[in-house]
Amino acid sequence: MLSSIAKPFAALALAAALISIVLAALGASPLGVFAALGEGAFGSWYACVDTVVKSTPLVFTGLAVALAFSGALWNIGADGQLTIGAIAAGAIGPHLGNFPHPIAIAGILAAGCLGGAVWGGLAGWLRARRDVNEVISTIMLNFVAVQALSWVVHGPLMEPSRAYPTSSPIARAAQLEFYFAPSRINLGMLLAVVLAAVCYLLLFRTGAGFELRAMGRNRRAATFFGVRIPALTFWVMTLSGALAGLGGAVQVSAISHRLYEKLSPGWGFEAIAVALVARLNPLGIIPAAILFGALDNGSQAMQRTQGVSPELVQVIQGLVILIILAFDTPAWSAVREQIFGATGEAAAVPPVAEMPDA
Amino acid sequence: MLRANAITKRFGRTLALDAVDFQALPGEIHALVGENGAGKTTLMNVLAGSLAADHGEAILDGLPLQAGSPRAALAAGIAAVHQSPMLFERMTWEENLALGGFDTGTGALDLDAIAARARSLGAKLGFEMPPDGATVENRSVAERVRLEVLRALSFNPRVLILDEPTSVLAPSQLAPFLDLLRNLRGEGRIVVLITHKLAEAIAVADRITVLRRGRVVARTTPAETSEENLAGLMIGEIIAQPALSATPSHSGAPVLQIEDLTLDDHTGRRILDRLSFRVAAGEIVGIAGVDGNGQTELVELLAGARQPSSGKIKLLDGSPGATMAVIPQNRDLDGLILDMRLWENLILARRLREQVTSHGWLNASHAIDLCRELIDRFRIRAPGPETTAGALSGGNRQRLEVARAFASRPKVIVAHNICRGLDLAATAEVHRTMLDFAFGPGRGAVLLISSDLDELLAICGRLLIISRGKIRETDPGERDPQRLGLLMAGARD
Repeated sequence: MLSSIAKPFAALALAAALISIVLAALGASPLGVFAALGEGAFGSWYACVDTVVKSTPLVFTGLAVALAFSGALWNIGADGQLTIGAIAAGAIGPHLGNFPHPIAIAGILAAGCLGGAVWGGLAGWLRARRDVNEVISTIMLNFVAVQALSWVVHGPLMEPSRAYPTSSPIARAAQLEFYFAPSRINLGMLLAVVLAAVCYLLLFRTGAGFELRAMGRNRRAATFFGVRIPALTFWVMTLSGALAGLGGAVQVSAISHRLYEKLSPGWGFEAIAVALVARLNPLGIIPAAILFGALDNGSQAMQRTQGVSPELVQVIQGLVILIILAFDTPAWSAVREQIFGATGEAAAVPPVAEMPDA
Repeated sequence: MLRANAITKRFGRTLALDAVDFQALPGEIHALVGENGAGKTTLMNVLAGSLAADHGEAILDGLPLQAGSPRAALAAGIAAVHQSPMLFERMTWEENLALGGFDTGTGALDLDAIAARARSLGAKLGFEMPPDGATVENRSVAERVRLEVLRALSFNPRVLILDEPTSVLAPSQLAPFLDLLRNLRGEGRIVVLITHKLAEAIAVADRITVLRRGRVVARTTPAETSEENLAGLMIGEIIAQPALSATPSHSGAPVLQIEDLTLDDHTGRRILDRLSFRVAAGEIVGIAGVDGNGQTELVELLAGARQPSSGKIKLLDGSPGATMAVIPQNRDLDGLILDMRLWENLILARRLREQVTSHGWLNASHAIDLCRELIDRFRIRAPGPETTAGALSGGNRQRLEVARAFASRPKVIVAHNICRGLDLAATAEVHRTMLDFAFGPGRGAVLLISSDLDELLAICGRLLIISRGKIRETDPGERDPQRLGLLMAGARD
């Protein structure tokens, strides 16, 4: 348990070392760059809050991905599900002005959940009933979602003056308010933390969560012992989509207050990295998301003060993930066995027959 | 001559081979016998280059073999047939053989030529080949072993090492297979046969080496020894085989009733054809058959993992599913989730899962307690409930499966090839447990599906035969393995 927490940090340190070499080769001061990165991410109260703001959508989408991946359902479509959730929230948001604040909030968040659930559930249904690989269907649904967003902000939901490709702002009642303004602390962040705990309990403390993990580890054995794979597939993908969609709704309700093109900078994809770094543990999603959010946030300061391009942050992120995966014991030993054949301890147990993953 | 000199191999704290000397001469069949975990397979892997020994060396005709290189071993003329077939599941059988010595070596992949060569070799050996372009994943275990044997022979090896090749063969296939080994011997090759079927070793081998816990305990010949003698050497002490009462006093009311059970696969091919039979409380019914005649599908239907095209499975006592426990044939693929903990594997069984779940919440400590109790009761050698199933030996994995089946207190146990790959002691133990279940105070019903006729004859009261998806009941007095073997192979009468 301890090592599973320590490993990502060791990987981070190794990535930092590698990056230092790259930076030194580029003529920049590694220490200065990292100091700027840290300063930008955590240097002040506002920087910290901004880091959390940037992390919040990653928690929602990270949980969505972790849940689906736990059942070996490769949901690559959290971005599309978040986008559809945001569209649903952005569509209903302007019409909630006459409702009391709590009801309006519940309404806009429910709309986001529903939108994401439909998008995820569609891929789940295709997998369960038509045996369409969810990797393909979720990628395709991502394309559709991006274009759907573009269409609504140029068409049906375009703001009344028709000057800008954005939707009308959502009603005040439907906005998650900021506490301690001008900081942007909002209840969406708390919701993300609560959901991480809920997902953890679901996955590790309920019968349904056990069935999901069993399906993920060995679909054939799960089938044999009466796990209803098609139904589980559909519901997990629906729930996964709902989580991502809720993330979209929180973003609209708390931060953007309206829809515009490219609302998501790719949270749904970054979420895959977040979920893998957290090793699919919902509680691990929070620190993992903050790590990525901090890198995003700090990169701006890094660029301002050190003249290093923010793209370098993406290089750092890539290296962190690669190193974590390379040093992750189960994954690493599986890879090693694939390439070199079973050796040492592994050969002491009888070889496991090749396992078809379908 | 193939020699192994003082081979030592250690896995962690386990000493798998302890200074093992082994010699096999050209033109002989050398049987290597021993219990599970005696080190037979490890020795084969060292000789075939899949493993590097810690100490000692393997020498073929005076030339030391490069340790840990299967490629070098193959080049030197040593080919191995592994116990769990090492085939590429999603590739066709022709593509699988393309990695063997049938390849022309020109660099161009000519699958037709490879298939033609494989067919002609197969015909010589009397092998029935799969249809053109069939992928391996749908072939039976016996077919896979044949493919592996073909691949090994395609290298025209001087030494052929076979790891338990006969455990998946039907009685009718056994004699031709042993003849094949004799032919290879006649050609002056060295054949090393790893087996724990002692009758086979005595029937076919010229010399026998017995391994026990990583040490050679005897070198003998069939003329000098007997099955009892070998069994004693393997186990270290003679275990008195309990007299198994195969004939039940009288069985009670039917518990499991199968009516006109029919299954067609998605291409419309009939897999199971109107099966009807019943199993009563207090009896053990056997279904004998060559692998791939519908047994796997029958077990899947009984487990509820798939739906029949027509027909009924009726449990006449209690509600369906709740009182039947199924032990699938493939421990590692269907029965267990190797990277989950023992207690998690336990609650894979629906009945137990429901037992430790209330209002959807999983009571893990309850499951762990239950698991600890079963580890004690079924003498599963494991550090504790938190161990992963993959860390257990084959025999202990099987104990875990049996323990799980019993823990759900079923009226019927359906078990498919439960003793495959288990040694004598473990097999006897599993049989004992089944007999106790059927004839003990609980009067359970057991349906034992197996391709091992000897096993079924030893413990089953009634015997059914499945062949090409059809089932027939045998005459209660019919106990002649040869005649039954013919029926398994599909003979009409």
